[in-house]
This record gives sequence, C-alpha cells and structure tokens, in this order.
Amino acid sequence: MKRLTLNAALILTALFASAFAPPFASTATAQVTSATEIKTPPLRKFSTPQPKRIQLSNGMVIFLQEDHELPLVRGRATIRGGARDVAADKAGLLGIYSQAWRTGGTASKTGDQLDEFLEARAAHVETPGGTDVTSVTLDVLKADFDAVFPIWVEILRKPEFRQEKIDLAKTQTNTAISRRNDEPNGIVGRESMKLGYGADSPYARHSEYATVASITRDDLLAFHKRTVHPNNIILAFIGDFDSVKLEKRLRDTFGSWPRGSQVTKPAVAMNGSKPGLYLVAKDDVTQANIAMVHPGIERNNPDYFALNVMNEIFGGGFSGRLMQKLRSEKGLTYSVGGGVGANWDYPGLFRVQMATKSGTTLESVEAMKSEVARLVSAPVTDEELSLAKEGILNAFVFTMDTPDKALNQQVQLELYGFPKDYFTKYPSMIEKVTAADVQRVAKTYVHPDQLAVLVVGNEKDFEKPLSTLGGVTPIDITIPEVGGAAKKAVATGSNPEGLALVSKITEFVGGKAAIDSVLAMRRTASMTMHTPQGAMEMQLNALTNYPNASQRAVMQLPMGEMTRVVTPAAAFMISPMGTQDIPSSQRDAMLSEMRADLINVLRNAGNPKYTFTMAPAEKVSGVDALVLDVNADGSMARWYVEPSGRLLRSLTHSTMPPGDVVTDFADWKAFSGINLPTVATVTRNGEKAAELKLSAVELNPVVDEKAFVKP
Amino acid sequence: MRAVHSRLASLAVLLIVAGVVSAQDLASFEKRTSMRTLDNGLTVIILERHDAPVFSYATMINTGSAQEVPGITGLAHMFEHMAFKGSDRIGTTNWDEERKALARVEEAYAAYDSARRAETGRDETKIKDSEKAWKDAIAEADKFVVNNEFSEIVDRAGGIGMNAFTSSDMTGYFFSLPSNRFELWAFLESERFRNPVFREFYKERDVVTEERRMRTESSPFGRLIEQYLAAAFTAHPYGFAGVGWPSDLQSFSATDAAAFAKIHYVPSNMVIAIVGDVNPTEAWPVIDKYFGRLPKAPRPPALRTVEPKQMSERTVVLRETSQPLYMEGYHRPAATHPDSAIYDVISQIMSNGRTSRLYRSLVRDKKIAAGAAGFNGFPGEKYPSVFTFYGITTPGHTPDEVAEAIHAEIERLKTEDVPADELQSVKTRAKADLVRGLASNNGLAVNLANYQTLYGDWRDLFREVERLDKVTAADVKRVANETFVQTNRTVAKIESAPKKDAPKGGAK
Repeated sequence: MKRLTLNAALILTALFASAFAPPFASTATAQVTSATEIKTPPLRKFSTPQPKRIQLSNGMVIFLQEDHELPLVRGRATIRGGARDVAADKAGLLGIYSQAWRTGGTASKTGDQLDEFLEARAAHVETPGGTDVTSVTLDVLKADFDAVFPIWVEILRKPEFRQEKIDLAKTQTNTAISRRNDEPNGIVGRESMKLGYGADSPYARHSEYATVASITRDDLLAFHKRTVHPNNIILAFIGDFDSVKLEKRLRDTFGSWPRGSQVTKPAVAMNGSKPGLYLVAKDDVTQANIAMVHPGIERNNPDYFALNVMNEIFGGGFSGRLMQKLRSEKGLTYSVGGGVGANWDYPGLFRVQMATKSGTTLESVEAMKSEVARLVSAPVTDEELSLAKEGILNAFVFTMDTPDKALNQQVQLELYGFPKDYFTKYPSMIEKVTAADVQRVAKTYVHPDQLAVLVVGNEKDFEKPLSTLGGVTPIDITIPEVGGAAKKAVATGSNPEGLALVSKITEFVGGKAAIDSVLAMRRTASMTMHTPQGAMEMQLNALTNYPNASQRAVMQLPMGEMTRVVTPAAAFMISPMGTQDIPSSQRDAMLSEMRADLINVLRNAGNPKYTFTMAPAEKVSGVDALVLDVNADGSMARWYVEPSGRLLRSLTHSTMPPGDVVTDFADWKAFSGINLPTVATVTRNGEKAAELKLSAVELNPVVDEKAFVKP
Repeated sequence: MRAVHSRLASLAVLLIVAGVVSAQDLASFEKRTSMRTLDNGLTVIILERHDAPVFSYATMINTGSAQEVPGITGLAHMFEHMAFKGSDRIGTTNWDEERKALARVEEAYAAYDSARRAETGRDETKIKDSEKAWKDAIAEADKFVVNNEFSEIVDRAGGIGMNAFTSSDMTGYFFSLPSNRFELWAFLESERFRNPVFREFYKERDVVTEERRMRTESSPFGRLIEQYLAAAFTAHPYGFAGVGWPSDLQSFSATDAAAFAKIHYVPSNMVIAIVGDVNPTEAWPVIDKYFGRLPKAPRPPALRTVEPKQMSERTVVLRETSQPLYMEGYHRPAATHPDSAIYDVISQIMSNGRTSRLYRSLVRDKKIAAGAAGFNGFPGEKYPSVFTFYGITTPGHTPDEVAEAIHAEIERLKTEDVPADELQSVKTRAKADLVRGLASNNGLAVNLANYQTLYGDWRDLFREVERLDKVTAADVKRVANETFVQTNRTVAKIESAPKKDAPKGGAK
C-alpha cells in the first residue's frame, strides 16, 4: 500500500484501463443500457384493510384492526393533552409525568414489580408523551394478552406516581438539562425553535433546573385527572385477536367510565423572534450548524398539497435543490434539508438547516439564503415539477403498505378532526398541483426577509466575522442554576456606585496596598456544623494561596483528620480511608466559592472579570445596609455592607448541593493590619448550617507547593 | 397469501411456546425463501411477502473499514458515497469524453498530491500550479456530469428510504420500491456495481470530511469513541477511525478508490436480499439478466492481522467542556466463536430493560447514571471486538463512581450464578425480539443479507436464538471470569474541565 500512496503516479496508467473503462463493453451491448428502456407494468391493485371504528357513549373512540401475521397484540390509548398544556413555570412536567406514569406503578403494583412481571413475558407497557398528547401503549405476545391487559388498564386509570420514581425522573431530566449544550445539533434544534415560535411558546420552551425543582407529585396527579377521561381518549388495537371478542372486552372495561372535562387546544400566539442574525458561541466544534426559520402553516391549509410538492423540489431527498446545490455541487455540507413545516393543529416552521466546516460558515449562510430567494423568485421547471409529483405519487403506496400505517392514519384523522378519506384523496390533490401553484405558494409562505438566521459555531475559525453579514445578536445558552438570588446578582458591568463601595470596603479591611500584599493566608478556626444527625465540632486549619486559587484545609473531626485540597487542576480528599478525587463538578463549585471570598474579591477589585454593581439598599437584621452585587469571574455574590465599609452579610448560591447560602459576619479584628470577621454564621436555605470562630491568622506563611499535589 | 402468513405465525408461536426453533419450522420459513448463487459468485436471497405491492432490498458487501490500511482509511465509506454517482451510462452526458476528462483529473491530482506532500524540496509555486491544473481538470470533467441522476431515477420511481452505510465489517445499500419497478431496480443496482464511475470524487471527499466533522470532531461523544477504539486496538484495523483519518481523507484519490473497489466489489463478495411482493419465478430471470453482467472475480483475501493479546490496562481521558462520560471495554472473540451467544446473554442481563442489572444499580438505586449498558458488536463483530460498558453520569457524579458501580456488577457475574428466572426472562425476550423483527420488509432484508454475509447462511438469524437458549449460568460465570479482567480492559472517559475563556454574560 505504501507503493500506492507514494508512487501513485507510476501505477496510474496500469489502473486506468480497469477503473475507467467498462469491463464488459462487448457483452453489455446487447443489454439494457438506460433506465428509460425498461417498461413499467401497472402496479397491482390493492387496498389496505381499514380498521373498524367504534364509539362508546362516553365519547371514547376505538379502532380495531386484526392482523394475524405474527402472534402479537399492540394497543395504544392516545390521550389529548400534552406539553403545550402545561404552565410555563412547570416546563418539563410532561417528561417527568410520562416517565413516572409507568415507573411509578399502580395502586396494586410498584413500578419495579411491573418491570419484573412484564419483562418476564417480553411485554411492554409504556407511557410516552408529546407536544399535544400522551399515550399508554401495550405490546405483548398473544399468549400473554390476558395477563397484561389488566395492567395496561390499571396504568391508564390508576397510576400511583410514587415519589421515588418522580425523583428518579427529575434526576434524569436534570441530567438532560446539564448535557443540553454538549452536542451542537441539540443546540441548533432547541434555539431555532425558540427563534421560530418565541422563547416562551409552549412549542419551544424547555425545562430548567428551577422548573423541574418546582414539580410535585400533586402536579402529576392533577395533569392525569385533567386529561385522562374517556372523551379525550382514542384507543387503537392491532394484531392477532378476534375483534368481536376484543370489542366486548373493551366495552366491558371502559363502557361505564363517566365522561370528564374535555381537553381543548390552548390559544398560542406566534411570537417568533425578529428577523436577523443570531449567534451561539461554541468553541469545541469544527463545524458551524446553521438554521434559518420563520413561521409555517397548519395542515388544514388548502395550500398544503402544493407546499408538499414545493418542499419536494426544494428539500426532497438527494434530488432536491438544497442537496443538489449545497452538497453535490458545492460540497459544502453532508447534511442539509428544508421546507415549509405543517403540523396537524398548530403552525409548523419554515426551516432550512445545515452544517458546514467553520471556514465556510458565511459562504454557507449566503448560499442557503440564495436558495431560499431562488425558491421565491425562480420559476419551477417542468422537469422539477414532474420529478417531485411522480416521486410523491409513486411512493404513495408506502404510506399504507402495512395495516398499522392505515390504523395510525385513522387515529390521527380522528384526533385532529380531519375527514376519514383525507389520505385516499391525497394523490388526486397532488396530481392537481401546477408549476404556477408551486410558484404562488412559494411567494405566499416563504419570506426571505423574515428569516431568523441562527449560527452555532466557533467564530474565530469562520472565514470572516459573522458581523460581515449584518448585525449579530449573541444568544447566551448558559444553563441557569436554581434559585433566584444569585441570578439576580448577575451584573453585566460595574456601576460607579458599586466601584465606590468596593473602595470603601477595601479601606475598611486595611487598604489596597495591604490587601494586595496578601498572597497566602493561613486561618485557624473552630467550627460547629449542624447536620441532620446533630451538631458536629471540628478544628479547621485552612491555607489559601490566592494567586494560584488553591486551598488546603485540614479538619480535625471526631472520626479523624481529613484534608481537602482544591486547585484548578485537581481536587481531592485525604482521610484515614485513603485519598479520593473530588468530582470535577464539586471542584468547580468549590473554586467558585473561593472566588467569592472577601480577600480574593478585594485583591481583584481592578480585574475586569470582577464587576460590582450597587443595588437598592435593604435592611439586614434591622440595620440599613448598602447592597452590592459582586460578579467574581462568574461566581455571584450579594454583599450587604454598612456605610463604613464593614461587610455584614454575604448571600451566595451554591450548586453542590443547590441552595441559597447566607453568611453573617461579626466581631471584626485586625490581624497584622488586615481587618477580618472572627465570627461567621452560615445559613443554608433558611436553616442554620454552621458557625465559625476564627482564632488565628497568619499572613503570607511559607507555602509548600507539595501540599497541593496529590500524594 | 394467508397460508403464507399462518406459516410464519406458526413458526413464531413455536419459537415462543416451545422455546426452540424446530427444523420443521425453519423449513416452513425456507419455503418462502429462495436463494441462489449466480455463476459469477453473487448470492441472492428472495423472501416472498405479498401483503402490499412493494419490496425492499439490501445489498451487503463483505467489506468494511476493517479492510483499510493506513493511507486509505475512510476509503470503504468513500466508495459507499461514490456508489450513488452512477456509471458509464447513468450520470453522464458523454461518457467517451468524460472518461478522458476523468483520466486527466487523476493525472493532475497525482502531480499535485506528490508536490504538496513532498518531504524534501517543497516547491510552493509547483504546488500552486499543480493544484490549479487539478481544479481546472475537475471543472472540465464536471461539464459531463448529470447531477444525482441515479437518485433521481429512484426518487421518480417512488423509491423510499434510499441510503447506505459503511460499518467496520460491511457496506450495505438499501431502499424500497413499488413492486412494478423490480426490473428497474435490477438495472440500477447491478449498474452501479458493474462499472461505477468516480465522478465528482474530490467534491464528495469534502462531503465525507464534513461527515467526519459532524460525527466525530464536533461531538464530544464522537471524539471519545474515536480515542477509545484507537486505544483498545493496537494492531487490528478496528482501531482506525471508520470515517477515516483527516490526512487520508484529504489525500486518497479516485484511483485509490477504483483499486479498492476492483478487489472488494466483486460478486463473490456480495449478498443481496429481497423481501416483499416479488414472484421468484419471474424474478430469477431478471436477476440473471442484470446481475449476471458483473464480472466474476475471486473473493478478496481474508484479513491477516489479529489483535494481539492485551498486556496491560489502557486509559484515555478527554478533558472537555461538556459533561462527563465513562466507557470501558474488554476484548472478546468474533461473532462466529462458540462463546458468542454467552456474550449476548451477558449483554442482555446487564442492559436489557428496567430489570437489567446496570439500570437497577446505576440508574435506579445509586442514581449516578442516567443510562448505563454493556453491549456487543463494537465496533464490529466479524473479528474479535470489545464488549463495551458505558455510563452517562448524572449531575454531581463522576466517571469514577460509574466505573466502580459497573465493576461491582461485573464482580457479581463472576462470582454468583445468574438466577434461573433472570436467565429465562432474558431468553424469552430474545425470542420475542426476533418475532418483532420479522415485521418489516426493510428490516428483514437487512437482517437476511447481514446473516448470510457474516455466517454464510441466513438461517443463522433463527439459529442464534437456539444458541442463546442453550446458555447456562455456568457459561456466564466462566466467560465473565475469562473476559472481564483488568489487563484486558480499555477505559475511556470524558472529564469536565472548566471553560478556558468562558464567554458568559452575553446578551439575552
């Protein structure tokens, strides 16, 4: 192979004969040489079996479709009401609801018992949820149907939502939140939805730690009570059963279930973002993900069919214009797609999306825009029209080639109130579409001037600054932590009052020169910690190296000595049990805490990454206090200060574990010219957590670097 | 038609109720299945299923990225892309002229490539000039291209699901068509392998590089996988990036691709499975007519390199701004090894469903992972591979905690017998999964072609359940003790590092 790569030129001639000449030119002549020579016989007539529809007097609709090919029965209860019906401050409820609905078990069986029972039978009962519906599904071998059917019914009607599984679902949801900025396609999908629908739209919003934290078992029970009524439910069964017998069983099971309140579609305003250019900065990628969006249409729009043809011409498969131009001709991308989106009962989005290497980002934005412009302005050729229509019509058979597809169609039509023959008429509606129709709908529904263009990428590698294309609005995707206090303290820059107050505090503590000379500090203190098991006394000896942002704390505890070392590079714990790494997330939380330390903040008063903003004054324990919001390089604190510059209280927010932390300071004393509080009382989430009494302070002790290295 | 269905149904019932696939039922499945090997060595399987006038097919080439060597990594996948570019009859306005133009592109590229990669005496002017000559030659050749003609024919005919994949083991092509297009399909599918033309090769190379950026470079998970495999395999090509190393992707030529195809894209190295509304009596002559055109050639030689026994544990750590991830793998034998079914059972015990051990320990009880599993077939299964465990940490928990919990579950496998009901549950579900997998034409076509290629007999699709049924608790313990040992382990993890230059506080 070495020969091949190094001396490719030498062997080129030898290879050419075989590589670029038809090997069988002689034998092939008598054969078919073009697709057009092949005759297409008419497609054999066939009709998909249509399910039987039954409506109970309580409003429940049932579809039954026998299919005896395999010994399986599958069922689904589709229930109106989904994520769009949840209040904004409970965003994420539906995900937790649909997890805990199944895992939380029923009145008679825990979720874990259900797992055992179902999995031993290779059966599945699940409770997925979506934008506008939830479902309870059943997938079981015929032989186990009688054993599993009652479970499916009990899940549907009497779920228990046990707290432990709600907590598990919350952990899962918080994991997803913590990871949502890891993959660029996740970011572009989420943020472009917010640009298209508006960030607060029920069709775009998503959970945050705070909304997840607020969700209770009562919320889940209430959502179940609100939606699970027979008049909101469509049942569909397919498989190896006798439909007469199953109908009887379903009537017996659900016939006497009384009606309840009807779920109706919420009124939602389309408040998409202003047209323009938006940037999410992501520095660990070699590609830019680009999406351009504006509102689309609903399915009942009479132009839906013409738009289908337009979409096929624009973004259909490999032969659509987007693939042709941007991938095949320009080689700019691997994946590109687009078209006017239509949802059954709420607007879709017009969307064009692709990914390209960072160095061709602007070129790609322009190329995508010009395809959108061309869609509106350039006529559709006969060739394009016939290719799109023939493709859709010839592939139509695949929309109904299995009985379960026909069944799902009927459920959709029932759910959204469309005529039963909607899909039967679909081909004739496509056939009617003309080039002029396509032109007209493109002009009506595609608006090049209204696009919100989103770029997720690493701007320093773009061929030119994105702003070359116009004003850029950055989008901050930092994941908000729980708790309002710290968030409120977010300051975009210092204000003069804030800077003046910092100078006051600096004076009070000992003056700039004295503080700047403090490179390291050793503090000795006794500490009382309040734990659920009672109070615990300990002796603390903490060595802080400010320039290195490192700390070594030795704690004398009843069970022995523990040493905790935190540096930007490593964090670990040494105990009688041995040395253990501290998880990086906790290390980050500790480093953040250390940044908000009084001496560290004052040392960095001139550092542009530290900002100080004066907020309206408040009373602290009956004393008037000036309020200073401190942003210590991302670590947020709110300080309450006496006009003299004496710090009374600090309010921070901790992520590990989450909560508001209030520290009250008292009994200030001077140590070698540095004024420090000797008593600190810590309250966490309103509960007393610890008291600290400072007994000795050593300034600039000899620091042994080895003390910060993992043994 | 119904008779056919009931036969399939009775097979399935027996699978479940009796717990084994009896020869008779396999025979009944066989009645609907015909298989032939053409004179040129091509194997074709037809499975009749007449529910709707449609059919699906899968063409499997027994060549994947494991057949690459340094310098041409990514080429198997690159060929997969080229197989949509047409032939001397599809995709050209004038083949005679295009052929000459493509030859000039290759000459120009060879000159440019040797200039830019010269190790001594690099001549910038020469590089620039030769690059321009190459690009000019491409522009000339592009004049004869009918863009995407192959896919347009398929689209127009109502084809759906047209796609292809390249794994470490195989390259597969598939789509579905209405059944009145069978002959058109036979023409197209045979045509693209009869004389594939490497037109627009260098543009497509950029597309493939973009695919690499998307799947690997811009995804923390993609980066982790690449590093993990590179660490796990020192000699075997399973350790190479399947999509190709960037330098190879920017170097290899259409000439390289043609040479690769000449060796590997031969009928004796291909299996085609067709499932759907196809009448074999009518279909065989069509298949003979079109696929008989492919020239006979020997099967490519078997791979020589075998991964040597691992001597020490290997660890790779990626420090990323993304959330942590943990994975570890242990070398295990190929899919054709007698112990393979035991590994499948272990994977099921550890990972399948909410009763699986990793779910219960890491997700449900310890809440240190949002998901955890141990699975086979990575990155392939034709050759000895790595049984891979992973855990996705929950906030505040670390890869080390995940590792510890996985190791505790592995220890249980080694020291305790799997309870009978747990083993039975796993076997029951494997059988049911097989039945559920029989539902779709497309899925069946891919499965049949895959099993025929991997095991030399599509019937192994059914035999696998039989083999799984024979696995005992003692088997599990033995294999766990042989496999899951420290010196056989490769660890790969992402540890979250704070952002270097956090761009916080941008406008909302």
